[in-house]
Amino acid sequence: MPQTGDYLMFLLTTAWLLPLVGFVIEMYWLCWSHRLSKGAAYFAVGFIGAGFVCSLLALLIWGGATGWSALSGHHGADAGHHAAAHNDGDHAEHHADDHAVAGHATEHATPVKKYYAGTYYELARFGSLRLSLDWYIDSLTLVMFTMVTFIATCIHLFAIGYMHDELTEEYEDHEVHMHGGGHFSRPGRFYLFFAYLSLFCFSMLGLVLAGNIFQVFIFWELVGICSYLLIGFYIERNSASTAANKAFIMNRVGDFGFLIGLMIIWTSFGTFQFADTDSHDSPEAGLFTMIRGHDGRLDVSEDGKQVYLRDASGHRAEQNGQPRTITYLLLVAAGLGVFAGSIGKSAQFPLQTWLPDAMEGPTPVSALVHSATMVAAGVYLAGRFYPMFTPEVLLGIAYIGCITLFVAATIALVVTDIKRVLAYSTISQLGYMMLAIGVGGWGAGLFHLVTHAFFKSLMFLCSGSVIAGCHHVQDMSRMGGLRHKMKITAYTMLIGVMAIAGLAIPGTSIGFSGFYSKDAIVASALAYYELNNAHFLLFITPLVTAGITSFYMFRLWFLTFAGQPRDQHVYDHCHENPKIMTIPLIALAIFAAGCAWGGEGGPLFRLIADSELVPAVERVVSVGASKVTLPSHQGHDSDVHHVHATAGMLALISAFIGMGLAYLMYVQKSIRPSDIRRQFSSVYDFLLDKWRFDDLYEVMFVQPVHIVAAWCVSFDRKVLDAILHGSAKITVLVSGWDRKFDETMVDGLVNLVGTVTFSIGSSLKVIQTGRLRQYIMWIGVAVVVLFGALITAIPK
Amino acid sequence: MSPETLLTCIVFLPAVWAIPLLVFDKEAKEAMRYWGVLGTALTFLLTLQLWLQFDTKTSEIQFGFAHDWIASWNIYFRLGVDGISLPLIVLTGFVCLLSMLASWSIDKNVKGYLMLFLILETGMMGVFLSLDFFLFYVFWEVMLLPMYFLIGIWGGPRREYAAIKFFLYTLAGSVLMLIAMLMFYFNSGRSFDLIELAKIATGTGKVATFDQTMQVAAFIMLFIGFAIKLPSFPFHTWLPDAHVEAPTPISMILAGVLLKMGGYGIIRIAFPLCPYGAQYAAYFLVGLGVFSIIYGAFAAMAQTDFKRLVAYSSVSHMGYVLVGIAVWKIVDGKTINRDYWTMGLNAAMFQMLAHGISSTGMFFMVGVLYDRVHHRDINKFGGIAQVMPHYAGLAAVIFFAGLGLPGLCGFVGEVLSVLACWNFSPLLAIISASGVILTAGYILWTLQRVYLGPEYKGPHPEALVEANSRELAIGYTLVVTAILFGVLPNLLFSPMQGSIEALTQSLATAYETLYSAAPAVQAAQLP
Amino acid sequence: MGEVGLNAYLMVGAVLFVCGVVCMATKRNGIGILMGVELVLNGANVNFVAFSRYTPLGLDGQTTALFVVVLAAAEAAVALAIALNFYNNHLTIDVDSGNELHG
Repeated sequence: MPQTGDYLMFLLTTAWLLPLVGFVIEMYWLCWSHRLSKGAAYFAVGFIGAGFVCSLLALLIWGGATGWSALSGHHGADAGHHAAAHNDGDHAEHHADDHAVAGHATEHATPVKKYYAGTYYELARFGSLRLSLDWYIDSLTLVMFTMVTFIATCIHLFAIGYMHDELTEEYEDHEVHMHGGGHFSRPGRFYLFFAYLSLFCFSMLGLVLAGNIFQVFIFWELVGICSYLLIGFYIERNSASTAANKAFIMNRVGDFGFLIGLMIIWTSFGTFQFADTDSHDSPEAGLFTMIRGHDGRLDVSEDGKQVYLRDASGHRAEQNGQPRTITYLLLVAAGLGVFAGSIGKSAQFPLQTWLPDAMEGPTPVSALVHSATMVAAGVYLAGRFYPMFTPEVLLGIAYIGCITLFVAATIALVVTDIKRVLAYSTISQLGYMMLAIGVGGWGAGLFHLVTHAFFKSLMFLCSGSVIAGCHHVQDMSRMGGLRHKMKITAYTMLIGVMAIAGLAIPGTSIGFSGFYSKDAIVASALAYYELNNAHFLLFITPLVTAGITSFYMFRLWFLTFAGQPRDQHVYDHCHENPKIMTIPLIALAIFAAGCAWGGEGGPLFRLIADSELVPAVERVVSVGASKVTLPSHQGHDSDVHHVHATAGMLALISAFIGMGLAYLMYVQKSIRPSDIRRQFSSVYDFLLDKWRFDDLYEVMFVQPVHIVAAWCVSFDRKVLDAILHGSAKITVLVSGWDRKFDETMVDGLVNLVGTVTFSIGSSLKVIQTGRLRQYIMWIGVAVVVLFGALITAIPK
Repeated sequence: MSPETLLTCIVFLPAVWAIPLLVFDKEAKEAMRYWGVLGTALTFLLTLQLWLQFDTKTSEIQFGFAHDWIASWNIYFRLGVDGISLPLIVLTGFVCLLSMLASWSIDKNVKGYLMLFLILETGMMGVFLSLDFFLFYVFWEVMLLPMYFLIGIWGGPRREYAAIKFFLYTLAGSVLMLIAMLMFYFNSGRSFDLIELAKIATGTGKVATFDQTMQVAAFIMLFIGFAIKLPSFPFHTWLPDAHVEAPTPISMILAGVLLKMGGYGIIRIAFPLCPYGAQYAAYFLVGLGVFSIIYGAFAAMAQTDFKRLVAYSSVSHMGYVLVGIAVWKIVDGKTINRDYWTMGLNAAMFQMLAHGISSTGMFFMVGVLYDRVHHRDINKFGGIAQVMPHYAGLAAVIFFAGLGLPGLCGFVGEVLSVLACWNFSPLLAIISASGVILTAGYILWTLQRVYLGPEYKGPHPEALVEANSRELAIGYTLVVTAILFGVLPNLLFSPMQGSIEALTQSLATAYETLYSAAPAVQAAQLP
Repeated sequence: MGEVGLNAYLMVGAVLFVCGVVCMATKRNGIGILMGVELVLNGANVNFVAFSRYTPLGLDGQTTALFVVVLAAAEAAVALAIALNFYNNHLTIDVDSGNELHG
C-alpha cells in the first residue's frame, strides 16, 4: 500500500510537471491554433490551477497524516503519531530507493515524521559521489507549493485580461520608435507569454521541491532564465532586453558565490542531499544530519577550528579511522557562498539594482516572478539551508538584510513610478525576511515570505490594473483620485497597503497579515538585540523602516487613488478593468488580509515552523568561534516570547507614524513634499539616483570588464599573433639567407667549374681553324719534331 | 556484423564513399550532396550500432583487433573502442551528418568539397578508433590535409592566411608528437601499441617503466601537440582565424570534432603514457585551463565578428576540459579523493561532447544568418527574432546551452568540472567559477545585439527569411540533443564511467609505485 | 746491283708516305687529298709487306696489308660520298672553303 510520502510525492510531482506540459503545448500554440486564440492562456490556467488543487490535496494529506499536530503545537507528544512514523520507517526499508526515511524517527524523542524525501533518478555517479534529482517534502515545501500555485493561478487569470492587447496580428509598441519614424509593430505574442509563465511555474515548483542543493541550483538557474525571458518579453524594447540582461548577469554574480558554496560542500561532505538516504545496506547521512546530527548542534572541536561530521545515526562519522571534519572557516565560507546566491536572487544589497529595472516586464510578471515567488526563492533557500549556517553566517545574513531593507525603503520614498515603488518595497521586505532568518527568527522570516507573497502580488496586480486602466501610464504624478473610477482596484490595493504597513487594531491582536509577520520579525530582532547588545542596529533599523514602509506605501495609495486628478486626460480615459482582472484581486485581497490569522499561534505559522529542522528551540549560546547568541523562540518562556508584546507595539506605533505622516503630506497637504525636497535636495538627489549603485557598478565592474576584454583581444593580436608572425618572418628571413648561400656559394662552385672549363676550351679554339691542310701540316711538323726529340733524347 | 568489419567500415566507409563521386557529373550538385548525406548518415548509423553493441559494464577495450601493417617495425593496423572513445566516435558521426546537411550553402566545386569532406571524416574516425600510436599519427595527419584545403579553397576572404596558420600550428604540434612517439617506441622495446605502452607506463608491462625525466619530456611534447588542437591559451590564435574563414559546415566540424581530438589525445595518450609527467604538470595544466576559461570569455566579449565570438567561446569552454582532466590531487605520492578526479575526467569528457553539440549549433546558427546577409558584424544585426522567430528561438536555446543553462548539455560538464576542481585547488576553482559570470555576460549581450531589438540594421534586410525546413531540422536535432543530454546526463556518463574509473585507478597506482621507487621533487603546489 | 734489301723497300715506302703527306698538305682539291691519303696508306702497305718478308713476322704483315687495302677502298667510297655532298653544298671541292668546324 502506498504511503503518505508516495501520495505527497505523486501529487507534488504532478503539480510540478503539469506546467511543463503546458509550456510545450503553449510554445507551439501556432501549430494547433491561431494567434488570436486565448486557448493558450486557458491551458496555462488549467495546468497551474490543477497544480494548485494537487498542492492543496497534498497539504490535506499531510495534515491528515500528522493529525494536524503542527497546528496543535505539540510536537511528538502523541503516541499514535509515533507509531505511524515508526511504521513508515519500517516500510522504508523495503522501499529503499524510492521512499524516504523518517527524518529523526528512530532514536530520538521527536518521532513525528518531519519530512519525506526520495530520488527521482540519478544524474551521475562517480565512485562514492552521487548526483541525482530528488524530492524533499516537508510542511514548508507544502506551504510554498500551495502559495505559489495559488498566487500563480490568480496571476494567470489576471494576465488573460492584462495581456489582452497582445491578441492581435499587429501589436503596436508605442515605446519603440522606428528608424524611419512611426511605432514598431509586430504580431501579438499572447501564447508566448503564457508559455514563459508556465515554464517559470515549472522551474519555481522544481526549486521548492528540490531534494538536494545541487538541484536547487539547477532550478535556481532555470527560474533565472525564465525571469530573463519574461523581463525581456517586449524584445523590441532596448530597455527591456538590457534590464533582462542585467537581471540575469547580476544573478550570476550571486550564483558565482553559490557555486563556491557548492564546491566546498561537495568536497567536504561528498553529498548534496538534504535528507539522509536509505540505500539498501548503509544509510548515508544527508547534509543536515552530517552537520547537525540529530540534536541540532554543531559538533565543534575544542579549539573551535574543526567541526565534526556525523553519520546517519548521528554519531561522529569516521573515514579510514579518522573522524571526518570540516574546517570551521570553510563551513562559514560555504554558508556565505550559498547565501551569496540568495543575495543575487532576492536582490539583496549589494546586488539589489536589477530588481527595479526588472519592472520593464509586463506587470503580471512583476507580480509573480519579481515579488511573490522567484525573488523570495533566495529567502526560501536561506531558510531551507538554515541548518548549514553557523552563527557568523547568520550574522552576515542579518546585516545584509538590515542594510537592504533600509536602503530600498529610502529609495522607495522618492520614486514616482508606481511599479518601482513596489519593486523597492519588495527589496526592502525581502531584507526583512533575511534579517529575520539572520537573527534566528527562522519561522518569522518564512512567515513573512508567505504573507508578503500574498499582499505584494496583490499590490502588483492592483498596480497592473491601474496601468491597464490608465492605458500604460505608470507615473504616479499623473494620477490621483482614481478611487472614484476604479473602486475594486482602489480598495483591494488599500488592503494590500495596510497589510504591508502592518496595521492592526491597537490593543487587540486583530490585524492584517503583515502585522503578524512583521511583528514576529521585530520581536526576533529585539530578542537578538537583548542578547547581543553590540548589534543594536539589527533592531533599530527594521523598526524605523517599518515606519518608512508605512509612509511610502500610503504615499503611493494617496497619490494614486486619493485627492484630485493631476492629469485630467489620464483620469478621463481611465476605467475599471473587466472581471477576469478584478476577481483575482479580490481573491488575493482576502488572503492578504487574513492568511496570517492567529499570528504565531495561527495555522500558517505553525505549519511553517513545523518543518524547522534545526532547533533554535533552545537558546543557542556561542558556538565555535562565534561571539553571538541566538535567541530561542518557541515555547512560552522563550526569549522571543518575552519581548513579543513590546516589539509588536513598537512596530505598530512606527507604522502609524508613517501612515500619519503620509496622510499629512499627501492628503491634508499640511506639509508640502516639495518644501522638504528643496530642503534636503542633495539627499533627495542621492535617493533619486538609487544611492548611485548603478553608476558605481558601471565604473567598478562593467567598464573594467570591457577594458580587460579589449586587452585580451589586443594581447591576442599584438602579442600572440605578433609572436607567430614574427616567427614566420624570421623563418622567411632565414630562408632568404639560405637562398643567398645557395646562390652564391653552392651554385658559385658549380658554375666555377663550368666557367673554367669553358674558358679553357674557348682559349683553345683558335687552333681549331677547320683547315684540313693546316692540320696535316701540324701533324707533319709534329711527327718530325717527335722524331727529332726521339732521336736526340734516346741514348744510343 | 562482426566487430572487426564494423570498426573498419566506420573508418573507411566515408573515404570509399568518396570514390563514386568521381563519376558524377560536375553539374549534378544536388545529387552529389544527397550522396554525401547518405554516406555520412550511413556512417552515423554504424556508430550508433557500435553504441548498441557496446558493453557498458566493462572498462576494457572492446572490439579490439590488430592486423600486420608494417610488421618489420612492429606497426599494426590496430583498432578498438572503449568508453572514452565511443562517445566521441558517435559525436563525430553525428556532427559530420549535420554539417553535411549544412553544406547546401557550398556551391563552388561541390565534387571536390564533398570528397575532401568524406576523407576528413575518415581521418577523424581513424584518430578516435586507432589504438596504435603510429596509426593514430597517420590518421592525425590524414585529417589535417583535407582541412587545409577545405579552409583554403572554400573559405572567406583571408582563407589562405587562415589555412596556412591552421596547418602550421597543427603541424608543429604533430612534429612534437612524432618525437614523443619515437621516444616511446625506442624505450619500450619497439612498440607502438597504445595499450601496451600504457601498461608499461603503469609498471605492469613487459619492460621497465619509462623513467621520470623521459616522462616529463614526453608529456610536455605531447601536451603541446594536443593543446594546440584543444586549443588552450597560448596556442589558440589559429582558432579564431580558422573559424572565421572556414565555411559554416567546416566550422561546425572544426568546433564539433577537431577540438575534441586535443582532449582525447590528452586522455588517451598523454596521461596514460606518462603518469609521472602528467602529475608533474597537473597544476600547470589546471591553471592553464582556468586561464583559458577566463581569457576566452574576456576575448569573446570584445568581439564584433559573430563567428570570432563563438570561436573564442570555444577557447573558454575547452578550458573546462583541461581543468576537468588534470584535477589530480597528489599528496606524498598518494592520490587524494580519487573520486573527484574521476568526476573531473568524466566532466571533461562530457564537456567535450556538450561543446560538440552547443558549439556546432552556435556555428550553424551564425552560418544561417551569414548565408542570408553575408556579413557577421554583431553591431549591424538586431531584431532577428522579429523576422525569423522560429530560427531565433532555436538559436537562443543553443546559445543558452553554451551559457551553461541547467537542463541543457553545457551545464553538466562545466559545473561538474568546476566542482571537481575545489578538491585540487580552491583558488583555481574559484577563478574558474567566476567564468559563469563572464559567460553569461557575453552570450546575453550577443543575443541582445543580434536577436533582440526592433529592427535589423545591416545590409540585405530583404534576405532575412525564416529558416527553411532543412535548417530547422538541423536546429531541432541539435536542440533536442542538447536538452536530452542536459536532462539525462547519465546517458553519456554510463558508457564512459567504467573506462575512466579504470584509468584513474591505474594512473594513481602507477604514480604511487613510481613515487615509492624514487620519491621525486614535486612541482610547486599552490593553494 | 746486289740483293735488294729491306732498306730499299723501306725507302720506297718512306718516299711514298712523304709524297702522300705532301700531297695532303698542299692540295686544295679534295680529290687530291684523297689521293694523298691513298699514297700514305700504300706507303704503309709497302712497309708491312717488306717487314713480312724480311722479319719473322710471317704472313701477319701481308694480311694486315690486305686489310689496309680493303679499308682504303671503303674509305675512298665514304670520302668520295663526302666530297660529293661537299660539292653540293659549296659548289666546289676546295677544302679550304670548308672551315665550318673551326672552334
